Amino acid sequence: MTAETILQMSDIVKTFPGVRALDGVDLDVRKGEVHCLLGQNGAGKSTLIKVLSGAHQPDSGTITWQGERVRLNTPMAAMNQGIATIYQELDLVDGLSVAENIYLGHELAAAGFSRHGDTERAAGRLLERLGHPEISPQQEVGKLPAAGQQIVSMARALSHDVQLIVMDEPSAVLDQEEVGRLFSVIRDLTADDIAVIYISHRLEEIREIGDRVTVLKDGRTVATGLSAPDTPTSELIREMTGRDVEYAFPERGMTAEDAPVVLDVAGLSSPGDFTDVDLRVRRGEIVGLAGLVGSGRSEILETIYGARKAGSGSVTVDGRRIRPGSVAAAVNAGVGLCPEERKTQGLLLDEAIYRNVSLATLGRFARGGFLRRGDERAQAEQHVRALDVRPADVERTAGTLSGGNQQKIVLARWLLRECRVLLLDEPTRGVDVGARSELYALVRRLADEGVAVVLVSSEIPEVLGLADRVLVLSEGHVVHEGQADDIDEHQVLDLVMEGSAA
Amino acid sequence: MSTTVKAEPAQPGQDDQPRRPVWRRLFIRPEAGSLVGAVAIFVFFFATAAPFRQLDSFATVLYTAAVLGIMAVAVGLLMIGGEFDLSAGVAVTTSAIAAATITYQFTLNVWVGVFAALGVSLAIGFFNGYVVIKTGIPSFLVTLGMLLMLQGANLAVTRLVTGTVSTQRISDMDGYAALEAIFASEWTIGGVRIRVLVLWWLLFVAIATWVLLRTRIGNWIFAVGGNKDSARAVGVPVARVKIGLYMTVGFAAWFVGMHLLFSLHTIQAGEGVGKEFEYIIAAVIGGCLLTGGYGSAVGAAMGAFIFGMTNQGIVYAGWNPDWYYTFLGAMLLLATLLNMYVRRSAAKR
Repeated sequence: MTAETILQMSDIVKTFPGVRALDGVDLDVRKGEVHCLLGQNGAGKSTLIKVLSGAHQPDSGTITWQGERVRLNTPMAAMNQGIATIYQELDLVDGLSVAENIYLGHELAAAGFSRHGDTERAAGRLLERLGHPEISPQQEVGKLPAAGQQIVSMARALSHDVQLIVMDEPSAVLDQEEVGRLFSVIRDLTADDIAVIYISHRLEEIREIGDRVTVLKDGRTVATGLSAPDTPTSELIREMTGRDVEYAFPERGMTAEDAPVVLDVAGLSSPGDFTDVDLRVRRGEIVGLAGLVGSGRSEILETIYGARKAGSGSVTVDGRRIRPGSVAAAVNAGVGLCPEERKTQGLLLDEAIYRNVSLATLGRFARGGFLRRGDERAQAEQHVRALDVRPADVERTAGTLSGGNQQKIVLARWLLRECRVLLLDEPTRGVDVGARSELYALVRRLADEGVAVVLVSSEIPEVLGLADRVLVLSEGHVVHEGQADDIDEHQVLDLVMEGSAA
Repeated sequence: MSTTVKAEPAQPGQDDQPRRPVWRRLFIRPEAGSLVGAVAIFVFFFATAAPFRQLDSFATVLYTAAVLGIMAVAVGLLMIGGEFDLSAGVAVTTSAIAAATITYQFTLNVWVGVFAALGVSLAIGFFNGYVVIKTGIPSFLVTLGMLLMLQGANLAVTRLVTGTVSTQRISDMDGYAALEAIFASEWTIGGVRIRVLVLWWLLFVAIATWVLLRTRIGNWIFAVGGNKDSARAVGVPVARVKIGLYMTVGFAAWFVGMHLLFSLHTIQAGEGVGKEFEYIIAAVIGGCLLTGGYGSAVGAAMGAFIFGMTNQGIVYAGWNPDWYYTFLGAMLLLATLLNMYVRRSAAKR
């Protein structure tokens, strides 16, 4: 490696009231490399990049940037040094146009007057450089899809004279094809000697795009300078978790051939979303739906759950047809959904854990219009313990838990409800690697106990590893159905791409 | 890199965006709904109320709209910037009382009183903005507090000084005539009364529109209303923009207050309560979102125009004016629905 070090962070410490978020972190980044930052949720990645982007001030430690010690007191100071950050929550202004967003805060202006034409032309050039000339600079940002908004964020970073771009889980909102395009953008950037700090939970992405890896654990750097393509997965996971964990899927149970069909979806169609979907899930079976974002996966789950009304077709649970378009009917029939947007659609973040768990079962605890809190709490606690939610204190608010534990709360809700059909939409999004295996085991255990599970995930290995059977979706059509064992990731991708090309 | 740049001129010119039809581009503007509404209400009263068809009535409609509209434009800007000002209605009265009282009590030139009142109005705006920014208390509460304080002070100070609930006349004092010409003059041309306030209103709308759409401050206003945190992160001076917006409302309150002072000569201390909602309603009818980040000055002006037409139209049509607020409420709902509908259908292709 001949490339020079552009950024050196040494012994960074940052404490918040009651928490030592960073406890001596070292990080060095070279010119033109993709430096991956790995670590479980709560390891300190977010705090570290906030220090780097000027949003937080470190309590101690030094930042050396291009050979000089710097203090990054504000986001602007970092920006002026040439350090740009693209946050996980896209931070664009919906009501402004693409061009206005890109140049917000450093408008091309003469004496206070915007130079509209220049701004739009310059924005257009940046978008073209990023390989997205189809995004119009005049377009209102709020009307762009998530992937497009991310490109705008990146164009905004490039509109400054940046040397380093920090990307916080950029792939979380993208499907596989968009991730591919993001990677080619990153390669173009590094070819221009721009360094990238890339944060992701997906190890396979880190292998593909990364040069070196730094691993954080509990606010400390536990490994640095690891080769991204060559370090074995097991080693990375061991560094992250501090223990030997196989990134492994649980043994498949044996779904008996004659196990009764619990969920029977026949000819379900919703114009514009999906067409003629047949789906049968037996007792104890996990069926996976694989496909790109926009292939209709989530829409199918939401239709089964009654949150959307189907154009035609039927949903039957235990032989009884469910009234379409009614969540109440679906829930009463024993259907439960763990939604994709856990924090907004699945949980009351400011409420206690037990109240989140009992939410779908409140009728059981009510006597004459009053809730019997004691019962409610006791039963919720039972399930919280059974799922090994940590910390197991049911009085804590749901928002204080990590992603994996939040997901368990949503699962506990449906267990308390004794649900027959569990619909999981991206159950491991935002869940760190250590907690994933645990969640997989949990889902399998539920299936073994007799629940019929439908699993949707953007991560094809997850679908193939966890599910018994797989349905591959492309543009709202089922293009393949079969045992999960009989197909591999590449075949799924082929099917998906072929379908979208057609 | 250079190859990509060179390839660009071969592409059709940058203006070659797929052009949408004119009506579509017009209709994704925030004020589109209020424009449609204004035309509909104009046609309605034109058809049902004979006096409405006279030019002089139209001038009165415009005047009614202007009194409201100058404030509505400032309040609209503030709402685009993501904040409320419930004290705006009473602040108009405060400004007028301040000018009259200071001038009379200290026997000063009226100019001094008027500029002192400007100071008072800007200070009120600054205070509102500063407290909202520094404490993070929702502007609804901060300005509600200001509304009550001003309402009480208006009455208490006036009674303390004059012993009654109205201000003393200052029309015989030095400097009055010139100021009256600026704030409250009117001419009759061909039997039509033209009030200078209408011209001021149009000027303020034009300035506000131009600031919003053609200056960096305009971008900042949308940004602080649409996404305050990211605006701050890219270096937009959020605090200055928001405080500036509150002070703009203060300026507008001063201007309208001066108009009332110089056209009515005395000010009733209890005036202005409830007006703040009319400003907000006008801005909302004009397409400003309650949540901020979206709206237009022309829209707020259109909202005020609709107000003016309704206010006068009911009288011209000979209806019982008791129904005014019912009519207004229904119109607010309709306009909001219309805005939503127009925006959705124009966004689709």
